Amino acid sequence: MRTALVLLLMLAAGAAIGSLLPQIPNTPERAGRYLMDHQVLGELFYRAGFFDVYGSWWFVLLTTLLFVSLGACLIPRTRALARAARHRPVHARELDGFPHRAVVAVDRPPEVVAAAAERMLRRRRFRVARDGVAVAAEKGTLREAGSLLFHWAFVLLLAGVIVGKGTGFSGYAVVTEGETWVDAMPNYDGRIRTGRYFAGGFTGTELELLDFTATYRPSGVPIDFVSRLRVSDRDGEPLGTVDVRVNHPATIEGLRVFQSGFGWAPVVTAELDGRRVWSSPIQMRRDPVREGVPESAMPWRGAIKLTVPEPDVMVTLELWPDYRAFAAAQLTGRPVPMLVAFDPYIRFSVYEGTILDPARATIAPMGLTLVDRGELRAAGTSSISVPRVGELRLTFPELRRYSELLISRDVGIPLVLAAAILVLVGLLPALSVSRRKVWVRADPGPDGSNVTVAGFALQRKDAFVDEFSRIVSSLDGAAAPAGRRAEHVGTS
Amino acid sequence: MDWARIAGATFDATVWLYLSAMVLSFAYLALRRQPLWVVARVLAIGGVATNLLSIVARGVAAHRVPWGNMFEYSTVLAFLVVVGTLVLVEQVAKVKTLTGFSLMFAVLTLAIAATAFRVDPSPLQPALNSYWIKIHVVAAIAGSSLFAIGGIATILFLIKDRSERRALVAVRERPPAIMGGAVDMDAPHDLIPDPEDAVVAPGARRPGILPSAALLDRIAYRAIAFAFPIWTFAVIAGAIWAQDAWGRYWGWDPKETWSFVTWTIFAGYLHARSTAGWRGRKAAWIAVVGFVSLLITYYAVNLWIVGLHSYKLG
Repeated sequence: MRTALVLLLMLAAGAAIGSLLPQIPNTPERAGRYLMDHQVLGELFYRAGFFDVYGSWWFVLLTTLLFVSLGACLIPRTRALARAARHRPVHARELDGFPHRAVVAVDRPPEVVAAAAERMLRRRRFRVARDGVAVAAEKGTLREAGSLLFHWAFVLLLAGVIVGKGTGFSGYAVVTEGETWVDAMPNYDGRIRTGRYFAGGFTGTELELLDFTATYRPSGVPIDFVSRLRVSDRDGEPLGTVDVRVNHPATIEGLRVFQSGFGWAPVVTAELDGRRVWSSPIQMRRDPVREGVPESAMPWRGAIKLTVPEPDVMVTLELWPDYRAFAAAQLTGRPVPMLVAFDPYIRFSVYEGTILDPARATIAPMGLTLVDRGELRAAGTSSISVPRVGELRLTFPELRRYSELLISRDVGIPLVLAAAILVLVGLLPALSVSRRKVWVRADPGPDGSNVTVAGFALQRKDAFVDEFSRIVSSLDGAAAPAGRRAEHVGTS
Repeated sequence: MDWARIAGATFDATVWLYLSAMVLSFAYLALRRQPLWVVARVLAIGGVATNLLSIVARGVAAHRVPWGNMFEYSTVLAFLVVVGTLVLVEQVAKVKTLTGFSLMFAVLTLAIAATAFRVDPSPLQPALNSYWIKIHVVAAIAGSSLFAIGGIATILFLIKDRSERRALVAVRERPPAIMGGAVDMDAPHDLIPDPEDAVVAPGARRPGILPSAALLDRIAYRAIAFAFPIWTFAVIAGAIWAQDAWGRYWGWDPKETWSFVTWTIFAGYLHARSTAGWRGRKAAWIAVVGFVSLLITYYAVNLWIVGLHSYKLG
């Protein structure tokens, strides 16, 4: 147990390190910044795996060793418990050496007294064995059983985690209102986290975002975020609609779908010399929060990349969903939260050149030349003439929302939950039940019997003092109502 | 009725009542005058009453459970620590000495809350708006308060144990006739019959204001053994809630990590007590580390470590 104890405390120390340093799986950008700021220490920590503690070889090793040591401890203990449960309580050869001992004179024959003691102890829910005039009793096996259950439950927990996280995955789906997202590998936004034993198996389920609603109190505190989804299976057969809201995920075809985030997706069309080259919603990202400015006061950014003409044209867009906030920022510089769409306003810049990174996510106009700037109001139009390309006409017919859904599959959850319940079920008796043993021997005495009672408790020794004296006095009464007062020899 | 103002006024009254009860409790320990104890007791119970009222008023003012941010959590924590001490330590274990120290903990908790986290009652953010806030947070506060009582008892145990050991050394140097050298000075700590006996031996120091180390140790163990399943439940309830709110039951968020660290240290303490060579002072030091870890879990994680549990303002 000492080994397990040391391993457990080392694991705790390791986990603590992980919370003090930025972790790559959780906050890669902060980990990167730390590495930049602390050249030597950062390098050292990086090699030690301190930026991914919970996935580092030594954390896994410690956990493995802990469970090996746990198993090495539990298997013999479980066997011993099974053996003890089969066997009767053991008689004591000598009753002199126990911490609690009393001698009582009773005017009944020894066999009768012993039989009465057996009945009395059974009533007190002791396990009892009687051999003629000697009675052995014990109670509190539940403590060890509970302790074993508690510890074995961690093995089950580990199994649940390995199975669930190993075969499962989690990723983000970003769906704009009115659009449909299909559960397939390439449709996940950004990096998808898969377990070591992940074997694919995307369901092909279709999720159509009917609408997304964000509600706020007048003070600006959010009340709820809800995505209304229409679900169809892989063949397009409708399965109904579900609401996904914060704290209330939906289960769809074995997938758990959580409300994770949301944003604005203005529908913008672009025509070059009267020819439609772009017409779809642009999922925009909010600017990073600045000190002292509420998140909801920041504008949103996105880009349109047109690689059809030669040279390429890129339009970067800055959306202010509430024009009043834009006006306030311009006039007074005071940030105003934008909770609802009100006369949405877009400022855009048009660039030309060669787009090096056609990915939708990168919105920086790297290596491009600025042609002109402009602005768009809802349902408005704006025209820019781009040299060597032609007349670019932008319209802004509609402002929609998009919803970011976290989608995960973890088949280990029922196992983990069961393990957690067993941990608690085992823990309660393991900490509250105390083990105690009592022996009674009735010897022939001058008036009947001299009864010796002895016992001890392994836990809650002070509570046993009372219990022992009650046992002695009830034995007195049970054996012979007219019996003499007990002569307590030693109850220390 | 302006419930927010009632909550504020009763909060302030609580701080003063606890503070004066604390001073008088310590005065009682030093002077052993019964009237001091009676007044301290009345003030402490008055503080519990105003504390409870401030919690209830806060809930009424905000139209929700009154433990949605750090200020409110601290208010409930102080309440449970004082009530726990009055009921479990004084009534069940019959020890008066701990109360002053628990009141000190409560006063510090409330003072930090008042200076650093005071906010007006406000609604909860959507992620907190779940019935799990009733289960998870209540279990976390209850577990914390019992751990705190255990931590206080452990620190007192270490102080008392030290003075008892010194007394034992004094006895060893000049063994009294009645003991006849029967005490095995090298036996493990808990096998020495009752150190209280040794302390009253001639030539040793007088008993002092604290109860025996053995008793303090027992109180500390009881409190921690009581707290441990509650804390375990709080962590499990938190994991269940996290599964619904954040899409995973465990993600090594700083709060999750530190509640695990605290859990692990106290698990280590419970094991250490039944491991030869770790009983007594070594186990007690583990409990002290656990107590520090508990404070980190609450204060440092919420204030300085960025994570999903940064609920300072609700």
